Amino acid sequence: MKWLSLLTNEWIKIFSRTRTWIFLAIPIVIIIGIAVYDKVTTDVEVNENWKQELTQTVKDDQKALDEAKKNDDNAIYIDSLESAIKQNEYAIANDISPYETTAWQFMKDMAFISSLIGLFVIVVASDIVSNEFAKGTIKMLLIRPYSRWKILLSKFVATLAFAFVMWLVVIVATWLVGGLAYGFGGMDQSYLITADDGQVKERLIVEYVFANIGVEFIELTALVAMSFMISTLFMSNSVAIGVAMFTLFAGNTIVMLLATKDWVIYTLFANMDLSVLIDGQNQLVKDLTLPFSISVLAVYTVIMLAITFTVFQKRDVKA
Amino acid sequence: MIGGIGERMTTHTLELKNLTKKIKGKTIVDDLSFSVREGEIFGLLGPNGAGKTTTIRMIVGLISITDGDVLINGDNVRGNFEKAMERVGAIVENPQLYDYMTGYKNLMQYARIMPDVTKERIDEVIELVDLKYAIHDKVKTYSLGMRQRLGVAQALLHKPNVLILDEPTNGLDPQGIYDLRNYLRLLANNGTSVVVSSHMLAEMQMMCDRVAIIQNGKLVRIDEILNQDDEADVKVHFQIEGDVSQAKQVLLNLNEELDVTEAGQELIVQTADVRFIAEMNKQLVLAGVLVVGIQRKTKTLEERFLEMTKKGGDLNEVAVPVNE
Repeated sequence: MKWLSLLTNEWIKIFSRTRTWIFLAIPIVIIIGIAVYDKVTTDVEVNENWKQELTQTVKDDQKALDEAKKNDDNAIYIDSLESAIKQNEYAIANDISPYETTAWQFMKDMAFISSLIGLFVIVVASDIVSNEFAKGTIKMLLIRPYSRWKILLSKFVATLAFAFVMWLVVIVATWLVGGLAYGFGGMDQSYLITADDGQVKERLIVEYVFANIGVEFIELTALVAMSFMISTLFMSNSVAIGVAMFTLFAGNTIVMLLATKDWVIYTLFANMDLSVLIDGQNQLVKDLTLPFSISVLAVYTVIMLAITFTVFQKRDVKA
Repeated sequence: MIGGIGERMTTHTLELKNLTKKIKGKTIVDDLSFSVREGEIFGLLGPNGAGKTTTIRMIVGLISITDGDVLINGDNVRGNFEKAMERVGAIVENPQLYDYMTGYKNLMQYARIMPDVTKERIDEVIELVDLKYAIHDKVKTYSLGMRQRLGVAQALLHKPNVLILDEPTNGLDPQGIYDLRNYLRLLANNGTSVVVSSHMLAEMQMMCDRVAIIQNGKLVRIDEILNQDDEADVKVHFQIEGDVSQAKQVLLNLNEELDVTEAGQELIVQTADVRFIAEMNKQLVLAGVLVVGIQRKTKTLEERFLEMTKKGGDLNEVAVPVNE
């Protein structure tokens, strides 16, 4: 019963920091900025003549493709050109304008914001344990009549809740801004994907948006677990944040370098970006599928939490 | 815990039993045992690095116990931590607070998670540590003394019956120290056991009922501050006018085994027996020695402490087993 008070305390601590509010404001400001910029600069003429525009793009792409084939360029580059040409031809034939923006299209375009949220969540999660060690406040907390795991759990749940709340706030803000700028319709709007067999298919944008919202929750959970572990292992908060960020960025690079190895699919970082799997396979690591990646993340999350709780339970606090 | 028939019944709120801490093969706290009575102020005195803070950290569960037990109100910290810590208030080293929150919000953090802390109690404690004027300011604007007082406030919120303060007078001005001493006495009179650690001897002498002297992680002895007159190291100084050696001979004639030393115009005799002092005086006067003054001097805690901690080798000789 009193455990909830521990959680309340952690929640209050997170929101007593000025930086938390800045983290919440930054994505919203960016979203509004992009919508306003788009509204001001978009050429309505071009949008109405999108078919000519697209035909021209197809021609250009075809030229680039011929060139690339002659030079025997990177296979991924050739693939992407081929699929772009197919998609555009399909769009022209089936009258699906890529320039028609609605609230849902806007949400799909703004999906990259989730990586920014990931960054902020890392800062909060890396800090929540290590900062109390760095400042010595952990002592005042651990001498209370609560087992250590209860205190750590309250911190983990609070961080996770913060990550989820931040994501939800950004989703709602994006939908509102998109709706106000482009209208709230477009539930039936579709976009084009190139399936594994090379065929172009139509898919509802709404479907993508909700899938993306869903996988982001899973990604955030794994991210929080990772930063949280680093936060507990390193008792200095700046080191913890640094290590967490480095791990994340270096992780992607390492995956790229190891993309040819069979076991790369079992690494944490190869599975960290689930949103690219919504439309099919990962371009970098071909064997990954959404259910596989989610399973791998789940295993890693459990292992990281087990390490975190074990270390925290046994640590001698000398801060 | 409860003494047999005929023994004085004393309630012990905090008991250390053979408490030992080893870090990487080095013994920091060595087989430490003592009991703190209900309503007493108990001091842990020792030079820096003696193991006072390590002992306190083990008591409140901040570091693991290598061997031995800590019982708080009968509950073992090792087995029943949550129950044992329920009525404990503590400041370990400096009180570290959340700088980015106000004093009041800091107190709320602890009020929320401790049993039965009412709003009235919070106000009462704020009043007590005299922080009302600044309680809604952020802690980063506080002086060291104010932080110390806020630290005391958080430790008292839930009316603990065991209050543990590590170097509580650090950063307090003389007025603050005086107030703290009075307040701790008040708490003790109401039944709270207070454990304070310090390397400041005079401080401990003024503040505590009993003091455990610790060196190299070992208990050297436990001193009752108020009853020191009864103890053996009371000395009588006779101020003599004239031949001191002759006077010394007079006293040795009285008792050959008497411990008498000459110090300038003074003869120092180790005895606490008032009648014997009168007898010595009588003999001196009868022998024609001019006694111009007699003074009884008790060794201060400071002298004893320095004497005992000066040489590690002497420790075993003076070590007194824990009574009770």
